[in-house]
Amino acid sequence: MAIPSKTIKVFEELLESPQNRLVEQAVESGRIPIGYSCSFVPEALLMADKLFPLRLHAPGLAGTELADNYLSCFVCSYTRGLLEFAMDGRYDLLKGWVFVPSCAHMQRLYDNLEYLQKPDFNHILDVPRKVNNDTLLWMTEELQMLADKLAHHFGADMSDVSLRKAMEQWNDFASVVQSIGDLRKKPNPPINGAEFHQIVMASLASPKDLILPYILDFKKEIEQREGIKNSRARLMLVGGHLHDPEFIRVIESQGCVVVADRFCTGTIPGFKTIDINNDSPYKILAEYTFAKTLCPRMMEDFDRRLNTIIDTVKEYNADGVVLEIIKFCDLWGVDAMPLVSALRDNGIPVLRLEREYCLGGEGQLRTRVQAFIESMGK
Amino acid sequence: MTKKYFGGCDVGSTTGKAVILDENGNMVASMIVPSEIDPEVTSIQALEKACAQVPDLGGYKNLAYLVGTGYGRNEVAFANENISEISCHAMGTFFCSPTIKTIVDIGGQDVKTISIDNDGAVLEFAMNDKCAAGTGRFFEAMSRIFRMDLDEFSSLSLKAKKVIPVTAQCSVFAESEVISLLARRNPPEDIAAGIQMAVSKRCFTLLKRIGIRPEVTVTGGCAKNKGLMKALAKVINIEVTPLAVDPQIIGALGAAVFARRRQ
Repeated sequence: MAIPSKTIKVFEELLESPQNRLVEQAVESGRIPIGYSCSFVPEALLMADKLFPLRLHAPGLAGTELADNYLSCFVCSYTRGLLEFAMDGRYDLLKGWVFVPSCAHMQRLYDNLEYLQKPDFNHILDVPRKVNNDTLLWMTEELQMLADKLAHHFGADMSDVSLRKAMEQWNDFASVVQSIGDLRKKPNPPINGAEFHQIVMASLASPKDLILPYILDFKKEIEQREGIKNSRARLMLVGGHLHDPEFIRVIESQGCVVVADRFCTGTIPGFKTIDINNDSPYKILAEYTFAKTLCPRMMEDFDRRLNTIIDTVKEYNADGVVLEIIKFCDLWGVDAMPLVSALRDNGIPVLRLEREYCLGGEGQLRTRVQAFIESMGK
Repeated sequence: MTKKYFGGCDVGSTTGKAVILDENGNMVASMIVPSEIDPEVTSIQALEKACAQVPDLGGYKNLAYLVGTGYGRNEVAFANENISEISCHAMGTFFCSPTIKTIVDIGGQDVKTISIDNDGAVLEFAMNDKCAAGTGRFFEAMSRIFRMDLDEFSSLSLKAKKVIPVTAQCSVFAESEVISLLARRNPPEDIAAGIQMAVSKRCFTLLKRIGIRPEVTVTGGCAKNKGLMKALAKVINIEVTPLAVDPQIIGALGAAVFARRRQ
C-alpha cells in the first residue's frame, strides 16, 4: 500500500474544522469567505478579487440536537449537520452563504438560516433543472445577479477582468488536482482513494491559492512512490455528498483501492478546467457549470449521468461501483434505482450503500464491502 | 497426525461456532459456545472444544487451514484468512443443499438475505443491521416477556388459533406493545404468533430486495424457531427448506469449506 505521507497530515489537519488555519489566515488578511454547498455554484465566481469559496462541511459531527428542533428527522443528515454547525458557531467566520435549490432539504436550510441567524449575505442561485439555450441564458443572468450582489455588498471587484483572472486561478488549481487524479488510472496507482479525497476536500474547504503549494508538494512526493500493488479490486465510488475521507478508508481497508469517484465533491467530472473564450465570463461559467455537474436534480439528464459512470469505469479500469446514498436523500434515492439496474445491465457489479452524513457502523460497512468484493470473485 | 483437517470459525455477537472438516470434506466436529466480550476468546473456546472431538488433530493450531468469519472475524488473528459471513453462509448452504438459491440468515444482531448462484457464490445480498428488531436479540427480549426460553416460545406460537398483529419495527416499542396485549389477557399463543408474523414480514421486505428464488432456507440460530419458519413460509408463500445440519453452524461450515478449498 501507499506510504503514509507527511503532507497528507497537513490535509488531515485542515479538515478538522471548517474554520481551518488557512481560512483564518485569509480572513486575517482581509479576504472574504463565502460558504456554499452545491456544485452548481461555480467556485471561480467566488474566487474573484478578495472573495474565496468554502465548501460547507461538518467534520466530526457528533449529533444534531440543536438542528433537530428546526429540521425534521426526515431531512438528510448533511443538511441537519450544516444547521447544527451554524447554530454551534462553527461557521462564524463566514461572511456570506450561497445556496442552490438543489433539493427541498437545502431550501429549508436556507430558510432556517434566514430565520435563526439572519446572515448579512444569504443568496439562492436559482439554477434551472434542464439544460437548453433558454436555461443557459437564465443561468447566465443568475450568475450576473449574484456577482452584482457580491460587488454591492462586499465591494468586490466583479469586473470581467477580475472574473477572467479568477477563472485562470481556478484552472491552475483544478489542473493540478486533475493531474493527481489521472495517476489513479495507473495499474498500480501511487495514491489511494482516501488520500485523494483528503486533498480534494481540504482544497474545497480552504483558499485555493494557500493550499496549492501543499498540493504541489504532495504531487512531487507521490510521483516518487512505487504504487499500490496487490489490491483485491479497483472500485469507483458514486453518490451525493461524501465529505469524510474516513468512509473511503474503511472501504479500502478490505483490500481494494478506490480509483475513481463521482460525487458532489468528487473530481470526475467536477474538476475540469474552464474553457476561457471570448464570451462573457457569466456565460462561460454557466456553460461550464452545466457541463461539469452531474446531479439527479436535473431533468432529462439520466443518460449523461449513467454514461459518465460507465465511461469512467472503463477509463479507470474499475471492477465495480459502490453507490453511496445519504439516507433521506430523495434525489439520489430515486436515481439509484434505475442507475443500479442500468449499470448491472452493462456488466458492472454494483454495491448500494445507505449511510448517514458522518461515518458510523464501520463493522457493517466492512462486511458489505468485503462481501461485495468476494461476490466479484476477487 | 497423518490426516489434514480444515477449520471454520464464525464469531457471532451471541455465539461462537466452529466446524472441522477432514480432507474428504466430511464434517467431523462442530461446536457452539456463548460469545465472550473478547471475540478472540470466543473463537479459541469454540475451536478448542471442536478440536477436542477430533483425537488425532491435537488442537486448533494443527489445522491445515483456518478461515474466520462473523462480526468478530478480524479478531481471529491466528486464522489464515477471513471471509465475510455473507459468503460463508452462501457456501455453507450450498455445501448442504445445492438446490437452495435464497437464504435468510437471522443472527443475533442482524438479518441478511442472500441470493446464490449454482456454485454457491453470492449474487446479491441485503442486510438489516441498523437495529435489533427482527433479530435473535428481538426474540430473546420477546421470550423473556413470556417467561420462557426460545424453544418454549416457538412451541407456544404454534398453538395459536389466530394471529394478533404486533409491530416489529422497534424492539423497545414491540416489548411494551406485547406487555400491554398480555395485560389485556389476550391469548399468549396468539400474541406469540403475531411476533413471529411481524419478524417474517421484515424478512419478506429484505427478501424482496434480492428477489425470492426457490428453494428458500433459513440459517442462523433463529432457524430453529419452528413458529418463525411457519410464519415465514406463509408470508413468502413458499415452503422453507430445512437443512440437514444445524442451521446455526452454517456460517462456520461455509468457512471450513472455503478453508478446504484453499488447499
